[in-house]
Amino acid sequence: MLRFILIRLGQAIPVLLAIYTITFFMVRLSPGSPFSEERKVAAHIIENQKAYYGYDQPVHIQYFTTLFRHLKLDLPPLTSHPGLTSADIISEAFPVSLELAAWAILIALLFGIPAGVLAAARQNTALDYAPMSLAMIGICLPTFVIGPILALVFGIWLQWTSISGWSSVQDRILPSLTLGLFYAAYIARLTRGGMLEILSSDFVRTARAKGASEFRAVVVHALRGGILPVVSFLGPTLAGLITGSFVVETIFQVSGLGRHFVQAAFNQDQSLILSTVLFYATLIMLANLAVDVLQVLLNPRLRLS
Amino acid sequence: MRLSPNLATEQTAPRSLWREALRRLADNRLAMMGLGFFIFVTLFSFAGPLVYHVSPDRQVLALDSTLPFTTAELVEVRFDPEKETPDEITTVEDFAEVYALDPQSDVAALSTGEPQLINGILFTPTTSFHLLGTDIKGRDMLARLMRGGRISLSVGFLATLTALLIGVTYGSISGYIGGRLDAFMMRCVDILYALPFLIFVILLMVLFEDFEYKILLVFIAIGAVEWLTMARIVRGQVIHLKDQDFVAAAKATGVSTFHIITRHIAPNLLGPVVVYATLLVPAVILLESILSFLGLGMQAGTESWGSLIQEGQQSMRSAPWQLIAPSLFFSATLFSMNFLGDGLRDALDVKSAKD
Repeated sequence: MLRFILIRLGQAIPVLLAIYTITFFMVRLSPGSPFSEERKVAAHIIENQKAYYGYDQPVHIQYFTTLFRHLKLDLPPLTSHPGLTSADIISEAFPVSLELAAWAILIALLFGIPAGVLAAARQNTALDYAPMSLAMIGICLPTFVIGPILALVFGIWLQWTSISGWSSVQDRILPSLTLGLFYAAYIARLTRGGMLEILSSDFVRTARAKGASEFRAVVVHALRGGILPVVSFLGPTLAGLITGSFVVETIFQVSGLGRHFVQAAFNQDQSLILSTVLFYATLIMLANLAVDVLQVLLNPRLRLS
Repeated sequence: MRLSPNLATEQTAPRSLWREALRRLADNRLAMMGLGFFIFVTLFSFAGPLVYHVSPDRQVLALDSTLPFTTAELVEVRFDPEKETPDEITTVEDFAEVYALDPQSDVAALSTGEPQLINGILFTPTTSFHLLGTDIKGRDMLARLMRGGRISLSVGFLATLTALLIGVTYGSISGYIGGRLDAFMMRCVDILYALPFLIFVILLMVLFEDFEYKILLVFIAIGAVEWLTMARIVRGQVIHLKDQDFVAAAKATGVSTFHIITRHIAPNLLGPVVVYATLLVPAVILLESILSFLGLGMQAGTESWGSLIQEGQQSMRSAPWQLIAPSLFFSATLFSMNFLGDGLRDALDVKSAKD
């Protein structure tokens, strides 16, 4: 197990390097510069700025300088937030995005798994069709359609929740729901599929034959195997939750990392862009690794390779 | 009861894979409903303007955010009577207040439906009917929805085509040649898979914001993101096909490589490629709309459904139909295309396309 984790971490290095390189040159080759201001500024001031932020060096030197600074976690100062480093921005904004993602995934699991189990246990009845039709709707409705509509109905018409910000409990309801509902729908469908397969297998039949109650057969015996597809879906989910929060953070004006990233891109703040992209990529890779490990723990038949 | 004399021949008549798949597709009610709605949306967006003669750019500021199903009495104002298009369109009340010399008689004169010349200005009575109301700037929502549909669908198809071209070429080369080149090419795909893509698309759109042909940029950005899965599917299929007996037989009889690829491999690739492509179109439309929603997609004049939804969100307090109408059309289109794609997959029964 340890060996597997180490190999996977080793494989992540060239990927991160590739991501760093692509982002670096994409940002550098784009027209525009972080110093183009609307106000006219004397040329020598811009020269000084460029020198301070290291933009006066040849590109290949800049490439290696920033690379080493990132490796040492000594992050360069930001052009869009003078006096701050990307570490400051990330440590301030990431907890917000993380909390949003955590609520969303909680909602997705709380709604999705019971709905899927119920649908599978009562296959081809109303209890199957109703949640599955809802799930189909949930999958086809993108967050930027659900979000504004939820805000319209619950925030404006019914006035039950607030529609922007991230300070009170009320503020958290709609963003978390918006982000979570799509995944709830997906998880419900996956759980139903997984459960149907397991429920017809021999060991569940044996358990039933030995007198286990229907509840025990479904929840104790079948569930562990039945949610395996859900676990393998969690990897892409985590990645999707992180990037999906861009849209949700925009709709509900939550100042998480996604909004900072879009802002940094608009401001051409190259070091914040680089740090954020690297941060996201690392996070996604760690999440995928964690999911792979979890999968093996749940299903010993899978070998780590 | 009488048996049909043709029964035996009917049963043994050869049926091609495609005809069989079409028959299965036709039996799938959801997929057929999807196809029906998809045809409707395409006609609505592209042929709609032929029936509904309202320009999406015609702006009547006096009619901002009018409710759906509203007919308004309006007056066209022409300072230069020779001009084709009116200089201003205003309501009857504004006409009476601002221009009319003797409001009562002038308004009465207009109500006969005849153009009136007052102080050298030509006034023509007109009505405007708005099936879905107007937006915040007094433009017809239905006309804007039609144009949004044209943009969204075009992006969907063209970007899918881009992704198909890159993906199929890349995947077939990788699969057919095999060996080290294959290993290298697939590692590249793996690395690209690990990238957080929305991030790169956003970066691309922002960094090249001033680029003149934004629509081209959208195609490139989306096409570049979406070809990866296509390449994998095609590669898997090619590897599977090239070891089959009929390819070996073709090789043994001296058929050229070009011929093997075009005559023997390509037709067999068609199934999974078609299925993946039908599922890709809604995915691409969704991606483009997310970009437009974030304000990074199309420019003014080429708004897609995504930008309409974003505009609608801003005015949803006072005019909720401006949000609801584009949301409904957009979601229903995504629905129908996903149903159609799923149905096609079931009909062709290509499990590999799911990968």
